[in-house]
Amino acid sequence: MAVLSKKNRSFSPDKLTSNRALFWIAAVFAIVMIAPALWVLGLSFKDNTLLMRGSEAVFSAPYTLKNYTDLFHSSLVFRWFLNSMVVAVGQTVGVLTLSSLAGYAFARLEFPFRKTIFVIVLFGLAVPEQAVIIARHQMFSWLNMHNSYLGLMLPGMSSAFGVFLMTQFFRAIPKEIDEAALLDNTPRFRIFWKVLLPLTMPAQATLGIFTFLLAWNDYWWPLISATKKDMYTLTIGIASSQRNFAQTEGLGFLAAQAVFASLPVIIVYIFFQRNIVTAVSGGAVK
Amino acid sequence: MSATIDINSVTKAYGALTVLDDISLSIEAGEFVVFLGPSGCGKSTLLRMIAGLESVDKGTIHIGGERIDTLPPGKRGVAMVFQTYALYPHMTVAQNMAFGLENLKVDKAEIDSRVQSAAETLEMAHLLDRRPTKLSGGQRQRVAIGRAIVKEPKAFLFDEPLSNLDAALRSRTRLELAQLHQRLGSTMIFVTHDQVEAMTLAHRIVVMHDKKIEQIGTPMEIYQRPATRFVAEFVGSPAMSMMPITGIVSAQSSDQKGATLEVEGAGMVATQVPLPASFALDGATMGVRSEDTHVVQPGADGLNLTVTVVERLGERTLLYGKLDTGFEMIVEDSGRSTVRAGETVKFDFDRSALHVFDGTGRAYHMAEEA
Repeated sequence: MAVLSKKNRSFSPDKLTSNRALFWIAAVFAIVMIAPALWVLGLSFKDNTLLMRGSEAVFSAPYTLKNYTDLFHSSLVFRWFLNSMVVAVGQTVGVLTLSSLAGYAFARLEFPFRKTIFVIVLFGLAVPEQAVIIARHQMFSWLNMHNSYLGLMLPGMSSAFGVFLMTQFFRAIPKEIDEAALLDNTPRFRIFWKVLLPLTMPAQATLGIFTFLLAWNDYWWPLISATKKDMYTLTIGIASSQRNFAQTEGLGFLAAQAVFASLPVIIVYIFFQRNIVTAVSGGAVK
Repeated sequence: MSATIDINSVTKAYGALTVLDDISLSIEAGEFVVFLGPSGCGKSTLLRMIAGLESVDKGTIHIGGERIDTLPPGKRGVAMVFQTYALYPHMTVAQNMAFGLENLKVDKAEIDSRVQSAAETLEMAHLLDRRPTKLSGGQRQRVAIGRAIVKEPKAFLFDEPLSNLDAALRSRTRLELAQLHQRLGSTMIFVTHDQVEAMTLAHRIVVMHDKKIEQIGTPMEIYQRPATRFVAEFVGSPAMSMMPITGIVSAQSSDQKGATLEVEGAGMVATQVPLPASFALDGATMGVRSEDTHVVQPGADGLNLTVTVVERLGERTLLYGKLDTGFEMIVEDSGRSTVRAGETVKFDFDRSALHVFDGTGRAYHMAEEA
């Protein structure tokens, strides 16, 4: 009987209509989102000279792999790829380490001005990067850190959002776990490392994925800090490949670089799809 | 391994709020002591102070003769079982149990042997490779106890460990805890607000109320000879019924056994409780437990009770109602009672089982037989 009523519920005409409506709305949004990506993918397989006449050439043969072979032979794209990878991975490791340590301290340790310092950290969420960019540029210039991996990574490592997220996550872990560990004669750092940190893995995954994606796609700071061509990240390198404003030349090659640059992000998404969905749904989906 | 625990004049305050005031208590080696009291009485705080999870503002705590209130929790030689179990969710049962021993640098073979032995004692050897999330509440409770056992502590501390279990499992685990204590012979302190747990498990009960110890005694001492009105009303289910004393006719009755009292709603009552001349009459009450009352035939001597609620418990029936004077009273009838709510019944009570409380709440009982 229960099965029957459940069946009836899922096939109720109202629900069916609303499901169909949701499907079509989602489909329209999906097409709008994916069309430019498919367009770029198509362009990457077209000869540059054909595209000079008009980018609608993407819809008709012939297609070629030449842009990709050029990528392997005549471009700094691999160097930029490496730079992006070093910066994104380094920044992600940095953010996870610092945010976890700070989050643990704010959630569990007693020290003077703890609440005030936490508020100051949160204030960082409200300060736009543009507001501090000149001062930051000056500072890194004085420190002679421009055109270095550390210079590209450091600003992104202090993540107010990361500290906030990890603090909240540590706070949500019952204090009895720490107390049980204390009674188990566990030193403070070992409690953090062996007991609590493994419990924050869902938050670490969320923070790690978003930090990686943010660092990989960052354009603003690398544009200022990396002025030497061999220190460009992919975003800056690809932008520098544009030969004229309308990009009437080398459009296919540019698209091939863009596709290549997107691969790691797509791979990250495929592998961590579940964590990303959980993260953006605020953990509501179980 | 078991050890004595001595708590001397311990005080604890959070800012201006005092939660424990000058507490002193000695626990024998191997004794099972239950801290009993309502929420907020300070019983868990006292336990946590013994464990080292709360600091001691004043006073000292010794375990096995060694002062431990200045030591960190892991160096006190105690093991604690938490209400929420506090197992490490990412570790298996075996890892949970071994973790504390690894921190103490115990030899690997010794750790394995102790974990195996504890698992067999608690009949959970088949669970050793599972994670806590894959266990039921009762199984988690066993793991928490197992984690304590492997440490071979000087004392076990239990902080309301049965609260999260359902009634049937709680009853079974209670029995298992009693058996475990018999087997290990360790000193155990158990915190609860459940008097059934206290009565069934304890060698001695420490009844706490309002920052202080109200009474320390065996379960039957606490039940039969409560030291204060609070203990009398808190221990025992249903609670003891109280009737105001309006006067003392004589401090000693004609048979020299006890005082004759003027009790509101019950008239003149000859008790077997001797009272001192200094007895504080203002606010004094006479207490009667429901099992010391009985329904009598209509027309016989007794008091009228207008029944408002009937609670049928199988072997007995509890009649909740009001006396003619309006005071609430609980009277016991047989399991076959046919009394219904709204009816008026006559009842009487056993004069030899009365408890008298003066205006300060101090209790007076009939003289103990030599």
